Amino acid sequence: MADTGPWAMRADAGGDIPVSPRTVEPFTFTGTAREYFGIWIVNVLLTVLTLGIYSAWAKVRRQRYFYGNTHLAGSSFEYHARPLQILFGRIIVLLVLLAYNFAANIYPIAALALTPLFILATPFFIMRGLRFNARVTSYRNVRFDFSGGYLGALKAYVLGGLITWLTLGILAPIASRWMWRYLLNNLSYGGRPVTSQPALRAMYGQWLLPAVVFLGGLVIFGISALAVGSALFAAYRDLLSGTEDADLILAAILQLLATSALPAILLLALATLIYRAGTRNVAFNATVIDARHHLRSTIRRGRFVWINVTNLIATVLTLGLARPWAAVRLAKFLAAATALEVEGSLDDYLGTVKDSGAAVGAEYIDVEGFDIGF
Amino acid sequence: MASERVTGTWFPSGESRRADAELTVDAAGNWLAAVNGAVVARGPRGEVELSRRVGSIPRRVTFPDGSLFETIDNDGVDRLAGVDPSGAGVDGLERFRPRLFVFAAVAVALCWAIYRFAVPVLVEVAVAVTPPIVPQMMSQGALTSLDQTITSPTQLPQTRQETLRAGFRELAAASGRGADGYVLNFRKGGAIGPNAFALPDGNIVLTDELVELAGTDDAAIFGVLGHEIAHVEGEHSLRQLYRAAGVAALIMLIAGDIGSAGEDILVQGSALMSLSYSRDQESAADRRSVDLMLATGKDPTAIVRFFQILQDKFGKMEGPNILSTHPATAGRMEAVKAYAEEAK
Repeated sequence: MADTGPWAMRADAGGDIPVSPRTVEPFTFTGTAREYFGIWIVNVLLTVLTLGIYSAWAKVRRQRYFYGNTHLAGSSFEYHARPLQILFGRIIVLLVLLAYNFAANIYPIAALALTPLFILATPFFIMRGLRFNARVTSYRNVRFDFSGGYLGALKAYVLGGLITWLTLGILAPIASRWMWRYLLNNLSYGGRPVTSQPALRAMYGQWLLPAVVFLGGLVIFGISALAVGSALFAAYRDLLSGTEDADLILAAILQLLATSALPAILLLALATLIYRAGTRNVAFNATVIDARHHLRSTIRRGRFVWINVTNLIATVLTLGLARPWAAVRLAKFLAAATALEVEGSLDDYLGTVKDSGAAVGAEYIDVEGFDIGF
Repeated sequence: MASERVTGTWFPSGESRRADAELTVDAAGNWLAAVNGAVVARGPRGEVELSRRVGSIPRRVTFPDGSLFETIDNDGVDRLAGVDPSGAGVDGLERFRPRLFVFAAVAVALCWAIYRFAVPVLVEVAVAVTPPIVPQMMSQGALTSLDQTITSPTQLPQTRQETLRAGFRELAAASGRGADGYVLNFRKGGAIGPNAFALPDGNIVLTDELVELAGTDDAAIFGVLGHEIAHVEGEHSLRQLYRAAGVAALIMLIAGDIGSAGEDILVQGSALMSLSYSRDQESAADRRSVDLMLATGKDPTAIVRFFQILQDKFGKMEGPNILSTHPATAGRMEAVKAYAEEAK
């Protein structure tokens, strides 16, 4: 284990240090739509019948199904959260939201004062959620842990969001880099550190295509909107003042199409999908576990968009019933696009890893609700 | 049962080191994990923790010493535990059987029924148990906020105020809450222009701009006030609030199972549906206004004249005016006239 030189050197090394054999262990997802459909429909049914209380149990079963079917080198992951922990977390979040809405309704100006407070509290919830999720995740009997602090979350999520929107997305790669570094650098497995140093240059490389798609789409939409927009607007006017009782919903939809930014929102969603896939590739490919094993992500962006879009269409057309199929399909795709490049024998390495620190067995109540994208 | 053997993997407590192992239950009911024939962990059933069966993911058996036996042989573990391997409890419900299609149909029907029936019932219950102090606080807060930001004291002559107040009291006396159930507030509207709105505790705000707009047609103003009284009487704003909260909570709870895009669609859809809900409230208030006007011997269709003025004057204007919340569609005016005809 003496050869723990910087990883970046090793790629083009070839010389001095004897390089131990590297093997690629792919992630696989073995869940099936048929099996998950049963779990899913029972989850939905019991959640509705219990007015939401079962949702905590439902979440545990869903997560266990997805974690338990994700395999790496012959072993699967496990999700250990207990339903009551999740129920408590949900009740806390619900009470906070309730109090906020109550205050906002009683004294609207208070809402103005509470909003910054709310924004400042968000990173805390995100941080605790990430920690909770890491600590209830294990692989081969050893837990993950997350040590990110409040300030890191504030920078990654609030400041990152701010600079992204203020610059209309131009600084988005900087924000993405902050977020991924916060997510990954604070992660550890059995006390072994995970490090990720995605290069800003590489992030911008992934920013280019979605930016072009978005701008190009806007131009095309703008031209066609000039043609279609006036016709739609006339139709809307006719509806509103027509003698037959215009359905307000129809009028609202027409208004939405004619005047609002719906096409722009769809374009933004598309660009975001492309961007998310690209930055995940960059961030994962710059991630090293315990200075030895390298994470690999090879999502093909076109395919990722295709899967997400067709998943959504199928889910909507089936009133949600295709959701299990869609979720399994995406999980299979993401797992197949992820691998761990292992130095030496993974089994030998794992033989030395033990649980450590606070992650072990503590019975804590924590706030959940924000998942790390796998 | 004692002869049952389940093969799997054993991990020492807190370590990722693993060994092929066998799981058995001895005659005394102790659970044993053995590696190469040597027992490495044991414990009575009560102290051994079995993970619940979910699909076909690996089953975990945690021993009192913290060590873990893991296997994909779910049926074997069930047999050792004396549980029906063909599915017990929630796991049994989840197995892929024809009845799942019944579940799916029930789930779709149930979601619809909840939205259609349970939410309205819960809203009624919530409205009924809400103490009067809540609408009072809401209204005082809203009124104070408005006065601090948008509205200013009225500039209507005292005599005009008295005339309007007198007519207002007549209408109020005819309504369920009685004349003392409401307070008419005159304000200069400023940015909100010609407007009238009801606060949930019975405070009704009428802007100078609206009074000026109606000119000498006091009956038209009373028609509008009758409409606002109806909003208070029907506790429309509380209902809308609870309904929005209920639907939002439903969506939140189911969100994990439908994905974020599905959640977005439901949120937008429910916003669209609440438009239709508030439109129903407007029609109900229109009809109640007709009733109140008739009961006090006023022209029941006067409110239509006011809609007409609004449409003539503001129909082509953009911006925040009473039209955006009270769209004066031809259909709405017709409905008021038809109802007035019927009520006479």
